[in-house]
Amino acid sequence: MAGLKILEGKYIATMDLYPQESREFNRVYPFYEHLRQGRFTTTRCKGCNHEAFPPRVICPNCLSEDLEWIDLPTTGRVEVVTEEEVGVPLGFESPLIHALIDLGGKLKLFSRIVHCQVGHLKEGDEVKLYVFPVDPVPIQMGRETVLKERVYYAFEPVKKGKSENQVN
Amino acid sequence: MMKNVCIIAGGMCAWGVREASLRDMFQEAGKACFDDNKAITNKVIDGLLVASAYTERSAFQTHLAPVVAEYLGIKPRTICARVELLCASGSSGIILAYGLIRSGIADIVMVIGGEKLYMPEKWEVFYSELASVDHDWDGPQGLGLPPPAFAMVAKQHMKRYGTTKEQLAMVSVKNRRNGLNNPNAQFREPITLETALNAKDIVPPLTLYDCCPITDGCAAVILACEEKAKDLTDKPLVYIKGTGQATLNNMSANMPSWTTWEALTIAAKQAYESAGIEPSELDVAQTHDCFTISEIIEYEDLGFCEKGQGGLFIQEGKSDFGGQIPINTDGGLLSCGHPFGGTGIRQAIEIMHQLREDATRQVEGARAALTHNLSGFIAAHTVLIYGREP
Repeated sequence: MAGLKILEGKYIATMDLYPQESREFNRVYPFYEHLRQGRFTTTRCKGCNHEAFPPRVICPNCLSEDLEWIDLPTTGRVEVVTEEEVGVPLGFESPLIHALIDLGGKLKLFSRIVHCQVGHLKEGDEVKLYVFPVDPVPIQMGRETVLKERVYYAFEPVKKGKSENQVN
Repeated sequence: MMKNVCIIAGGMCAWGVREASLRDMFQEAGKACFDDNKAITNKVIDGLLVASAYTERSAFQTHLAPVVAEYLGIKPRTICARVELLCASGSSGIILAYGLIRSGIADIVMVIGGEKLYMPEKWEVFYSELASVDHDWDGPQGLGLPPPAFAMVAKQHMKRYGTTKEQLAMVSVKNRRNGLNNPNAQFREPITLETALNAKDIVPPLTLYDCCPITDGCAAVILACEEKAKDLTDKPLVYIKGTGQATLNNMSANMPSWTTWEALTIAAKQAYESAGIEPSELDVAQTHDCFTISEIIEYEDLGFCEKGQGGLFIQEGKSDFGGQIPINTDGGLLSCGHPFGGTGIRQAIEIMHQLREDATRQVEGARAALTHNLSGFIAAHTVLIYGREP
């Protein structure tokens, strides 16, 4: 029978929610390598000092190609929270919680918050970077297919030390 | 010498959950458009712009414009291309057709747009929406479907300006009422304030009726230079007077402000200036009510009221029939639904009827009108101004 069965087991980039992160397909691949090291980074222009997010290969201010990687804060403060319990897209679990996070006055990110229940996250709470593995991409290199590992990021609530209920 | 440009025909198919393909709906809307003005046939169209955002995802089809030309029996010779700006694809097509006709490159152009969004399995609809935002940066955060973003906007607007859930619901009640007699609208049942307020949450504070639905549908208009328009219609001429389209950011992290849509203020200023008109001179408008909070912010950023007064504007009936400026007179996105590429064209059709004074729900003596679309992660804004004079 003709049809979609031919695609079984195939990697389909056009249905992939996550970016092509590897050096072979992306010039900002260091961002993802930094994520693996627990660093949240972006590019700064060496000419005009403009810091852009997401990272670039040219400066959107002065168009220079002379950029360097800089570290952004990995913790931030919650400004507003949204909680989605219905209509969560495939690939995400309900509840899907998002927050507008102020990263030390450097950047405001609208990010997913993981390890968090509905009603728990409040304005002013601290959150920190959370890096997790994503399905690898099979890339044809010559006659071989190489699996390229991937990671992505969200944020999670910072635990407030030992819980008040906890004994010892 | 710049030419004046008129909108001389418009029509749409039934919008909703359709048992029809994209091709079927393009044919239906094209026919409805030609039927609106019997002096125009498919043989006189010299240019075709097709507005559609999801064709690769929902129909596995690129090179869409020649498909549509073939199905509608149109043989374009000045332009035959597709236009994509997600929710503003249709109004972008109209701006481009306007420019081509104004400059003399084309004389009579059809702009047709629409989407087939419902897929055999529903997950694919939601999944494809993840393509609408910045794929590498916002998509993986699960920000494809727009409710979280607009809930964020609503929360901030409520906090900063005291906008209430009741005021949000009033937008929905008004637009549902306006859509009652629109035979092509997805929803044609009225709702009460109580129903809207007690509806299930989508993303708080937004409930079911604060959000426009997912929609299959298609719409078409025909634009012509003034000389041709005079030959091709005996109805009052409706002119495009001015346009503006602006964007300041795409990714959510670069949003300058969530409660003042700066790109909208820029697009509006450009449109008002190019039309030589003030907001106070408008008689009717169709704005992008994808969510109730959107319409409230649009009142403010289009200059119909002071910043922060959008909630009062709906509460005091100023955007209703008999008010300062009736808005979304055909039901808007909240009643008609929102097949992305079709929406800007649906708005243009309603404005054409309002200015010809043959609308289903007519604003008495309407002479000047506006349409507005937002698109993407509130990332781009498109404004057109129409009038009975060039």
